[in-house]
Amino acid sequence: MYIDPHIHVVSRTTDDYEAMQKAGIVAVIEPAFWLGQPRTEVGSFKDYFSTLVGWERFRASQFGIVHYCTMGLNSKEANNEPLAEQVMELLPLYVGKEGVVAIGEIGYDDQTEAEDKFYRLQLELAKEVDLPVLIHTPHRDKRKGTIRSMDVSEEHGLDPKMVIVDHNNEETVKEVLDRGYYAGFTIYPHTKMGSERMVEIVKQYGPERIIVNSAADWGISDPLAVPKTADLMRKSGIPEEHIKLVTYQNALTAFGQSGQMDEQDWLNAAPLDQTKKMSGNSVLRGGQTPRVEGSSDFVEN
Amino acid sequence: MENQLTSYLTQLLDTSTNQKGLEWLNKQVEKINTEGAPSKFFLAFSQASRFFKKEKLNLTKEKLESANEFVSGFQPQHWDELQTARTVLMLSYPQEKEAWFAAMNQLFETADMHEHQALFAALPLMPFQKDLIPRAIDGLRTNISLVFDAIALNNPFPAQYFPEANWNQMVLKAIFMQRPLYRIQGLEERRNPALAAIARDFAHERWAAGRDVMPEIWRLVAPFMNEMYLEDLKKTLATKDEPQVLAALLTLRESAYLPGKELLETYPDQVATLDMDALAWERIGSEFQRTRV
Repeated sequence: MYIDPHIHVVSRTTDDYEAMQKAGIVAVIEPAFWLGQPRTEVGSFKDYFSTLVGWERFRASQFGIVHYCTMGLNSKEANNEPLAEQVMELLPLYVGKEGVVAIGEIGYDDQTEAEDKFYRLQLELAKEVDLPVLIHTPHRDKRKGTIRSMDVSEEHGLDPKMVIVDHNNEETVKEVLDRGYYAGFTIYPHTKMGSERMVEIVKQYGPERIIVNSAADWGISDPLAVPKTADLMRKSGIPEEHIKLVTYQNALTAFGQSGQMDEQDWLNAAPLDQTKKMSGNSVLRGGQTPRVEGSSDFVEN
Repeated sequence: MENQLTSYLTQLLDTSTNQKGLEWLNKQVEKINTEGAPSKFFLAFSQASRFFKKEKLNLTKEKLESANEFVSGFQPQHWDELQTARTVLMLSYPQEKEAWFAAMNQLFETADMHEHQALFAALPLMPFQKDLIPRAIDGLRTNISLVFDAIALNNPFPAQYFPEANWNQMVLKAIFMQRPLYRIQGLEERRNPALAAIARDFAHERWAAGRDVMPEIWRLVAPFMNEMYLEDLKKTLATKDEPQVLAALLTLRESAYLPGKELLETYPDQVATLDMDALAWERIGSEFQRTRV
């Protein structure tokens, strides 16, 4: 069993969901983020947030995967201040919903004043509703941005145990762990981590508070990054209980602090049966037969 | 009336295992009543899932019977604890029309799956029902069966308020999604020639594609039986599939169309075993739900 605690499944296909389920992924967390281009209307945010707690959650369930999400205004779009103000008014409507396991992903992109302002406001929101925080650390000037994220979080009085600092690398991991935070690692080709480097990190730092994810989205990325990395860890002789911690248990412990994520959600789920459970037309159009076995070489009636 | 209904629903939640939830609910109701700020209401509506489970209500016979006194057709036996609690919160929001719609519109527009389920199933308990018809019609555009069911099944609202075209669209979509038609309230009373023709077209489409036809759809054609429908029923009888055959025979039995009666007489053994209409259709429908792939 694996959890992918950071994946933008709205941009993935049903083939991906099938492959993930087969590879042993039982639950995913979809952090609210941007869509590859900036939104211009608050209504686009509203519908996106509704998708995360609505259709996507339902869609995932049809493939035997439990879907959770985090709610937040991402750092890139925080730079459109008038729009960001409106999004902040929207967030209280969503943070209390079922399956919302954190405020996130929030933090810095270019580390502007506007980003700082909305990051702080959302830290306060997280405190108010007692949810964990998922921090997105910047691609550029990463180390400084990561340290600043933690400094500001502490300034607002958040307990590091309630904060997951994501997209770490060899340069950031030590300080993040030393200061008591959960450290997320994104296995994403070219821009973030590769599986081999991840194996080395777990060897060096051990499994405590380390969380592996794919952050798969609409870019060239891999929704199977978590199970693939686990396999590589196995081949590299990392003990099974360590693999379990970094690809399953730590994510559950960290995000489970929301009270919105429980192992029973997938252990006690009804057995996967797309048609019976979900009834006819949904992702299965007009009485289509669900594909439980591998793909066939013709389009089924 | 709202207050009586609210206390009736609250009583349904009053079980020994959920005193904590009930205490929370009463506190929220009081806040919503007095403060009038929608934000508290929205938050409580969402967070109800932390205090109430999605387990079906445990109803006594007396309680079940009194449901009908509040709203004709109200069937809380299909409700779970969470949606009941959410309905109590919804009914506690001050019912000043303009402000009520502002809050409810926002709630509908930002609701998650189970919140939608609660809201749509509670339509027959809401104030300003006529103004909610477009909301109900729009809600049926969902592809999430849980939400569709909340409007279409065991809910008196559509039969009471929907114009014919929307009613027909709902029933057709229920057929398309293979939902149990016997759970649509007012299905028999609101049968109409246009719907019968739509159902027939749908059956032909399924046959053309080499697929089975849901047996319950023939219930829609009984009052409008003619030569055309008779041919369809002959084809249905020829499947020799039991639910299909029973559905065809029930349809022929209900209809007064003479050539149909003659056909019916050629199946004396099966006809002798048929139940009363409603019961027989329920059996066919639930059997279909149980066995479909």
